[in-house]
Amino acid sequence: MVVDTEQARLRALAERFDVATQEADGASRHDLAAAGIRDADLVIACTSRDEVNLVAGMFARLEAPGATTVIRTSNVEYVDLWRSGQLDVDFVVCSELETANAISRIIGVPAARQTDVFAEGQVQIVEFEVQEGASRDVVDLPLRQASAPRDSKVAAIIRGAETLLPGGDDVIRPGDRIVVIGSPQAAKSWGALLSPGEAVVRDVVIFGAGRVGTAIARALVEQGIGVRVVEASRAQAVRLAEALPEARVYNATGFDPDFLERERIGKAQAAVFAMRDDAKNLYAASLAEVHGVPFTIGIAHEPVSVQAFDHAGIDVSVNPRAVTAEEIIRFAHDPRTKQIALLEGSRYEVLDVTTRDTSRYVGSKFRDMPIHGALIGAIVRNGTAIFPHGEDVLEAGDRVIVFTESADAARVVEAL
Amino acid sequence: MLLKYLGLTALFPTALALWYHEPVWPFLVAGAIASGVGLLLERMTTGAATRVGVREGFLVVSATMLLTAAFASLPYLFEGGDQLGSPIDAYLEGMSGFSTTGASVVTDYDALPRSLAMWRQFTQWLGGMGIIVLAIAVLPRLRVGGRQMMESELPGPEIAGLPERIRETARTLWTLYVALTALCAVSLASLGWLGIDDGMTEYEALAHAFSTVPTGGFSTKADSMESFSPETQWIVALFMLLGGVNFMLLYRAVVRRRPRLFVRDEEFRIYLVLALVASVALTIQIWGYGLASGEEVVLDGVFQAISVITTTGYATEDFALWPVLPLLTLFALMFVGGSAGSTTGSIKVVRHVLLGKVLRRELDQTVSPELVMPIRLNGSPVDERTLRAIAAFILLYVGFWVLGAAAIGIDSAIVGVDLGTLDVLAVSGSALGNGGPGFGITGPMASFAPLGDVSKVTMILLMWVGRLEIVPVVVLLTRSYWRL
Repeated sequence: MVVDTEQARLRALAERFDVATQEADGASRHDLAAAGIRDADLVIACTSRDEVNLVAGMFARLEAPGATTVIRTSNVEYVDLWRSGQLDVDFVVCSELETANAISRIIGVPAARQTDVFAEGQVQIVEFEVQEGASRDVVDLPLRQASAPRDSKVAAIIRGAETLLPGGDDVIRPGDRIVVIGSPQAAKSWGALLSPGEAVVRDVVIFGAGRVGTAIARALVEQGIGVRVVEASRAQAVRLAEALPEARVYNATGFDPDFLERERIGKAQAAVFAMRDDAKNLYAASLAEVHGVPFTIGIAHEPVSVQAFDHAGIDVSVNPRAVTAEEIIRFAHDPRTKQIALLEGSRYEVLDVTTRDTSRYVGSKFRDMPIHGALIGAIVRNGTAIFPHGEDVLEAGDRVIVFTESADAARVVEAL
Repeated sequence: MLLKYLGLTALFPTALALWYHEPVWPFLVAGAIASGVGLLLERMTTGAATRVGVREGFLVVSATMLLTAAFASLPYLFEGGDQLGSPIDAYLEGMSGFSTTGASVVTDYDALPRSLAMWRQFTQWLGGMGIIVLAIAVLPRLRVGGRQMMESELPGPEIAGLPERIRETARTLWTLYVALTALCAVSLASLGWLGIDDGMTEYEALAHAFSTVPTGGFSTKADSMESFSPETQWIVALFMLLGGVNFMLLYRAVVRRRPRLFVRDEEFRIYLVLALVASVALTIQIWGYGLASGEEVVLDGVFQAISVITTTGYATEDFALWPVLPLLTLFALMFVGGSAGSTTGSIKVVRHVLLGKVLRRELDQTVSPELVMPIRLNGSPVDERTLRAIAAFILLYVGFWVLGAAAIGIDSAIVGVDLGTLDVLAVSGSALGNGGPGFGITGPMASFAPLGDVSKVTMILLMWVGRLEIVPVVVLLTRSYWRL
């Protein structure tokens, strides 16, 4: 059931997806009750206005005490409020924060296109782009012989439109994208193998000091990464400079070649384009690449921009809405599913699923497990992550971190 | 009005005069005049229901300072004899006392009645009390020279009848001030009791505590601190150093037992570092020139550095006789001053710190014009207007110093007083910074008596303007101030 105040939007939604809709005000207790909130298992308040979401979350708690409530916010303060236990909802998703974390993870691992962490940070999944100069230890030879970093597993090789769930005979080639599941340490080692020469990131330039840009700057500074921020609005530049003494802030546009040259923006190891306007991000990124920035990350506010960014050669595109949606979707899954991550748009999913006693795979060795469009990258047993080898045995109650195509996700969860 | 109560303060030296069987009438008459004028002014102003706001504050502050100095000079006028009897000399001594400057025209200290000598010390102590209120409540409200930094702690637009919170703060800080003075007096007196320093009688202990804690610098002796024992000098140095600390900080850190505030406070840290560096530099110079021997090398270095940096003006050694290098060192220290919110004069450490940061930013922005760099003090950003006010203050300060030096220089040439280049500059800088002694014939062991009258009036003006941090007085000279 989707509730919105605009009839037109609801109609468009109902035409595309199989959902029930109701024209109502989410901030009205009466409207929510009329929409049948009492029977809901999960209430998601994700309007563009934080205050409406907060109020809707509170009414949901009153009207449907049993339901899980999730609210979206763009204000980090509300997240802090929730973390300190002052906000009675089950989960608060902040798109700015999620986006910032996604980007800081990508920058932390060289060559990564996308990364996500599972099991409280013990397991990291990374999608890499395999470049020409990648180490011969892992590329152009069968995986069986490759000397891959410990505690990691190649979950998929994506070659054009084709996706391989690799066995020992498969080969990684330059130009491929691969999905690796492993420990954070292993993820870093993979990054070093696949793009040698890209050392630890020390200097990142962020264009745009709006809410997203500020959150990214903060996340990077917390990681100890040196941050420079370029912001066209003087007031916003001053605000960020006052709030974040560690960042070097410029009051300039990203489109001034003289400025880019004078401040040696090209010497930065990465640049993030977090301005409000996708077109500006695209142009500024192209300009930065001309000036020699080796790694560009663009914020694509519109889903369609992701393709344009990819086409234009921006290394990574992040859509804050997609990131937020991913967080929210976690709750729509089977209760056994703790977390999911979406890769390549939403073509692939990585799921964190707890195995049932009745699963037919319980008790079997990983070596003997058939590959049916899914691959287990790691298991979490008693809170500790294990990266299984052929001889290890799956036990009931293990949480498995499994890679699969989205289309197969339901079937995979069912089997476990 | 303040004067009304100030009249009562004359009772203290009166009692002292009774004790020492010296004439009582100068103090009683002075007190009566002050109270009378105070009451009269009050009677005159109660009719007019004008609100005393920030605008009137400039005038009130400037006039009050002139009137209190006049009150302080009355006993000198009545009983000062040859040394202090002339109106200009008496007024200079009064202004020097209330502005805690410590510049004196007295030459023969033994000829002064003990009660009058104590009155000199006492005016400095009273001046210190006034300055604390000036520094924490009045000047920030008038936005003088970037003082509004402290404004967040002191809300409310009214100057007259200080709001309750400020009155409370002032009372607390006064208690601290009195306690510090008592501690200083007892420490000094116990040296006398223990026989460590025979010269330190109870009278001397109190007299010097009165001029040490407010970083004043008056002494009852012609040779300042030289005749006292090294132990005394060390203790005085310590209390001078304490007197140069922001009283608000001292209160929070010591009375409220949060000593970590000391570590966190940028101004305090730099103040200590400066005092230390100056002490070391001066010690090396004294040692290098062989100006003292043994323990005195270090003692003189430390004492003199602290004395000048806190604008106290005591001396353990007649530095007027020193060679040029240590003199220049002292000269430079004259422009440092202690912390804001203390009784010290001069530019003050925090303004130097912020100006330094502004200069650094200017250089950085020369390379990268787009760079946005908020200036921070103790981690929080400082308003750009504050920074501008500080730059303006320092420029005004330098301007007044140079003008003062010019006036004194010209007058000395006409009257025929033997002042060198450095001496003229030092007299002006010392008066403006409320330091006290100058160099040459106006050194710490000498007095300002030989100067011409124009020079003395200039000094009075400089002390007045310097103590009020220039801006309130200068504002009165602008046309826009008087526009309705």
